[in-house]
Amino acid sequence: MTRLIPDWEIRVTNFGLGYILMCLVVAIAAMNTGNNGLYLVLAGMLAAMIVSGVLSRRNVRGVDCEIEAVGEVIATRPAWLKIRLENRLKTATAQALFFLHESLPGPLWVDPLAPREKRELVVEGMFPRRGVYRDADAGLLSRFPIGLFRKYRKARLSREIVVYPRPESSPVPEPVPEDARGGRPHPRSRGGGSDIRTLRDFSPGDDPRDLHWKQSARMRRWIVREREAERDRVLFLAVDNALPASDPAALARFETAIARCAGAALLMLSRGAEIGFHARGVKVAARSGQAQRTRIMDALARLEPVAPESAPDFPLMRRGDLRRFVS
Amino acid sequence: MTRARPSPKGLSRAYLLVLAPAAFLAPLPLAWTGGASREAILLYELALAFLWWRARRGRPVRISDAAMNVAGLVYLAWLGFSAATLRPGLLPTVAHLLLFTGLAKLASLKRPSEARLALLVIFLLTLASASSSTHVSSVLYFAAAAWIGFRTLGLLAVLADFDDAPPDRVLAAVPTRGLAAVAVLGGALCTAGLFFALPRLHGPFALTPFRVEDALGKALASDRVDLESFGAAKRSDRVILRLSSESDLAPEDALRLREAVFTDYLDGVWTRDPRLGARRGERAAHTLLAPAGRPGGAAVISVDLNVFGQGFLFLPYGSSAVQVERGHAVELPDGVMQVSSSRGPVRYQAEVRRVAPRGAGSGGISPADVPAEIQKYAIELTAGLSEPGAIARRIAEHFAKDFVYTLDPPRGAGDPLVHFLLRSKAGHCEYFASAAAMMLTARGIPARLVTGSYGGEEGLFSRTIVVRAQNLHAWVEAELDATGFQVFDPTPPGGLPPALQAFSLLSRLAALGREIEFFYDRRVLGFDAADQAGAFETARESLSAAAGSLAALKESARDLSPAALAAILGAALSGWMIWRGRSRTGKRHGPATQAYVALRRLLARKRGVVPPSTPPAEVARLFAEGVPESGEDARAVVAVYCASAFGGVEPGPDVVRELTERVRRLKKLA
Repeated sequence: MTRLIPDWEIRVTNFGLGYILMCLVVAIAAMNTGNNGLYLVLAGMLAAMIVSGVLSRRNVRGVDCEIEAVGEVIATRPAWLKIRLENRLKTATAQALFFLHESLPGPLWVDPLAPREKRELVVEGMFPRRGVYRDADAGLLSRFPIGLFRKYRKARLSREIVVYPRPESSPVPEPVPEDARGGRPHPRSRGGGSDIRTLRDFSPGDDPRDLHWKQSARMRRWIVREREAERDRVLFLAVDNALPASDPAALARFETAIARCAGAALLMLSRGAEIGFHARGVKVAARSGQAQRTRIMDALARLEPVAPESAPDFPLMRRGDLRRFVS
Repeated sequence: MTRARPSPKGLSRAYLLVLAPAAFLAPLPLAWTGGASREAILLYELALAFLWWRARRGRPVRISDAAMNVAGLVYLAWLGFSAATLRPGLLPTVAHLLLFTGLAKLASLKRPSEARLALLVIFLLTLASASSSTHVSSVLYFAAAAWIGFRTLGLLAVLADFDDAPPDRVLAAVPTRGLAAVAVLGGALCTAGLFFALPRLHGPFALTPFRVEDALGKALASDRVDLESFGAAKRSDRVILRLSSESDLAPEDALRLREAVFTDYLDGVWTRDPRLGARRGERAAHTLLAPAGRPGGAAVISVDLNVFGQGFLFLPYGSSAVQVERGHAVELPDGVMQVSSSRGPVRYQAEVRRVAPRGAGSGGISPADVPAEIQKYAIELTAGLSEPGAIARRIAEHFAKDFVYTLDPPRGAGDPLVHFLLRSKAGHCEYFASAAAMMLTARGIPARLVTGSYGGEEGLFSRTIVVRAQNLHAWVEAELDATGFQVFDPTPPGGLPPALQAFSLLSRLAALGREIEFFYDRRVLGFDAADQAGAFETARESLSAAAGSLAALKESARDLSPAALAAILGAALSGWMIWRGRSRTGKRHGPATQAYVALRRLLARKRGVVPPSTPPAEVARLFAEGVPESGEDARAVVAVYCASAFGGVEPGPDVVRELTERVRRLKKLA
């Protein structure tokens, strides 16, 4: 079943069109025959349209609807949505309301809301695709009172909903062993680590504790130990987001790559690895742990394709770091 | 072509439960209007009740498409056969087809589209019922149809968004009763306005004579009257006319209304003299005189004649100028007034002068028309009398002493009048009047039969006289002296229709019903373009009058002294402040506080004054002390109040409901 979220506020239903047609038929019959019984029916039908318009005007507009996601939301997996409803009307019960959201399998029946009543519902939904939902693609729909019109009111999002991509298993290899290229990777930067990078002449500002006394004595000038930065080799997972937007096949491959990237990242992070993420114009520094999981998934959720001609370069890497493209 | 997937059984059940009440109601009037045979409607209702019962039990009937196709073909064959041989008429044929189709659809609901089709059939049945119903009780049908229709459409609107069986609570929850009542009342008001505003291009299709019983139709809707049907007509309770007057009418003016004069009799049937049909020419004084120009004692009466046949108007004796709302009034040589418009209820005004009641013209019954038996009877009865008045009195006394008044006289062979006089000696007013007219003629006194009405009932809301079919009457006009045709009523007093009388409470209720009936007949069923123009004109005049009143008010406001103006403004301001203060007070207290205040009031009622310094817990304790079984409720109310007032925790809807329940219990216990 496919149900589209309306982009309108009021629509005449098919039944409403039929109703109007029947009004015309009865009007013609009444005028041609002069039968006042038919005139009564016609007047009643027209009156029902007026009453319907008046009653339905406030039925949907008088209800505030706000939604927010509860916990983490992953595409195509069950997620919890909290719906806050409030009937602002003082006297009228809001009724025949349905809550629509694309994460739900169909319209969700909402029991009548008494005047001034507030209600919270938690429903299980499923978002079909990853992304950021800043605008609530959800709302309240009603055909109240007699189904001539459908009236829709968009819900508010209390905060944006970030839908993470659904992780897929990927063939991304584990980080290569340290000796894959003949030993430790080439040191790239100075730092405060414990390993010594090189010895060099003392320059102002160097830590006196780094003085290499024996070599200084030998060379008869101040020699200091230059230390290597205290860091291991890290792996950056990368997805190339430069692709023509009009190519559905490329878009499908792109989404697959994102899903696989998410799968690989989650797998490695679960093993305690330090993982970062790169895409054109996007960089997530390498870290490990639960927070990094959120950062990477968030970046993947927000990743948008860019046109190849205007696509920025991938972020620069430090020497020795690895970048693996996921496709 | 692919067909929509069948709905789940639960959804079909819901559709059936929703549609059944409307389907049940829709064809009911057809049983009374003859739009469908009663047997067919009974069969339909029973089958529908069975379908509804099965659906209520959760096992809806769902006949397969193949079975329905076979049933449809069989029915079509039967329909063709019956239309060709039995010739039931168009409306019954169509109505029976609709009944069958509606039932078939409801018995085989598989898809929402079939439910919509069933709804269409129900609507068509409603149309057939509404268009063929002319009795005032159809107002009840319209009201019921509005209520059930609103509920049905409301529930169908909800079901349209369900793909599966909805929970039972859904069908019970929507629409709420209060809202449905408001909607139906609002709809009724709009309907009334629209009904009178919709353009009328043709005259009304269904008029009151349309539904008048045969007897009444024969008695009134033609220029012949037969003795048999006149009695049957008098049994009817229909409203014939309503008469009102600008000024007080003497009872004798209003009681006897003359309609038609008959002089030709043959075998129980009176007909008008064909020579009288030739119009004497339109009366010159068909425009009412202005009140200033009227002769002394003249009054203007307005008559709404609801039953209409040949256009004879019911008029009191002494009527002079007559003005008819539509068409022209023509006075015939025997003084009978006839209007030229073709058909339909008619409204007219007449100027009534206080003169001795005399029938116009000179034509009477031809002595040759009097049967020999009646001649002999008259001569024997009035032997020795020569003065016309004395003869008439003798006849009247004879009837009062030896004859019985009945609306159902025994029938016999031969001339009914001869049978009445010589054998049965029982009859109604037309027998008495006919016999008397014949006997007077036999004695050489010019006489004729007059039909019209006698007596009436006071209207409920206005100074009107309602004349019903039971007030139909017949009497004699005879030349008893040299002053013209006098009124001579030979009917025994017990047979005279009820004269003007006051109403008891019960009869007032009955009168209310009659007013409604008359209004429906005249203003709804017979509403036409002329009425509409009149209604618009009245509305325009009312608006002008209101505007004039407003202007006058404005003028008078200018003359107000500053002190009075200040007083009015002050009073208005005070009222507004009081109202505002009350509404604010009402808003300030939440449900928890209201419950606590109620608890304090109950305690104060029980123990006297509760000082303001008494803390909530003490209030609960004191209350529990006084009414031990209410301790838990009192403590709970105080707890919620404390949480709300001091902890900022507002109670949720469930808690509010519980609080209300607790306070109710506390009130009961206290």
